[in-house]
Amino acid sequence: MKKIFLTFFFINIFLSSVSLADDKQAIDIYKKIRCLVCQGQSLHDSNSDFAKDLKKIIKEKLDNKETDQQIYNYLTSRYGDWILLDTPVKQSTLLLWFIPIIVLIVGIIILFKRTVFEKSKLS
Amino acid sequence: MDVLVFIQGDMTTKSKLSLLAIILLIFFGAFYFSLQTKLKNDDLVMINKMLPAIKLQSLQDDSYVELPLQNKKNFYLINIWASWCVPCRQEHPLLMRLKKENNLAIYGINYKDNKSNAQKFLEELGNPYFFSGSDMDGSKAIEIGAYGVPETYLIDREGKIILKFIGPISNTNYEQIIQNIK
Repeated sequence: MKKIFLTFFFINIFLSSVSLADDKQAIDIYKKIRCLVCQGQSLHDSNSDFAKDLKKIIKEKLDNKETDQQIYNYLTSRYGDWILLDTPVKQSTLLLWFIPIIVLIVGIIILFKRTVFEKSKLS
Repeated sequence: MDVLVFIQGDMTTKSKLSLLAIILLIFFGAFYFSLQTKLKNDDLVMINKMLPAIKLQSLQDDSYVELPLQNKKNFYLINIWASWCVPCRQEHPLLMRLKKENNLAIYGINYKDNKSNAQKFLEELGNPYFFSGSDMDGSKAIEIGAYGVPETYLIDREGKIILKFIGPISNTNYEQIIQNIK
């Protein structure tokens, strides 16, 4: 009796940890998807009908062993890049991604030149 | 020249001000133009794409239809609607007018609705649909990239989405549909 109980106990723990891992994967995806009918919320934060439906579909796809990338592709093919909270790096978004870095580099150069110039003026 | 002076740190107040003005102007211009252009044109992401395959179970009986259609004879319209949706009532007369077009069939997708309410809606306002399919859980709507109700898609003979309207169709939209099917 004790053995049976223990076996069930461990099977239960094993199954619940598996489903927790599944949930974590799903939640990670929900957090990266924009709820398109809400104001600035991710799918994870939203309780709108649209968000609930999308979550259900994402969960089904995960159950069917689709990869995260396949799910993102499915969503962007229907709703565009806007549905991703992180803007993907591609030709049309290169400026967006690299302007801050360029500005930073230019700033450092200006700062460097100025200090060198001031020093040379002093000496 | 200003830039060089700026880099070297030896700038007059006048050149500082003019540089600031130029930078502000660039920012203002960038924001102004991005507000003018519709950057978030993702509503139209499905345009010119093939209609994803969906199987529509009839609202009335056990029959079903598989979209995109295989017969390739005519253009067809897909309209997502619900009896609880107020703007759907607004666009309904236009759908009834479109029904009269010989070379256009309308396929309805009844979105998250109660069957008897849906039937009542059609009895009361007229049935513009050649086929009424049911989408109880909203998954069919998501499959074709819809946000909610009402939405209307014009599909060409090859099964390509050529027009998409979010919200109730207007008289202008009606004209657009008529022009495209001619």
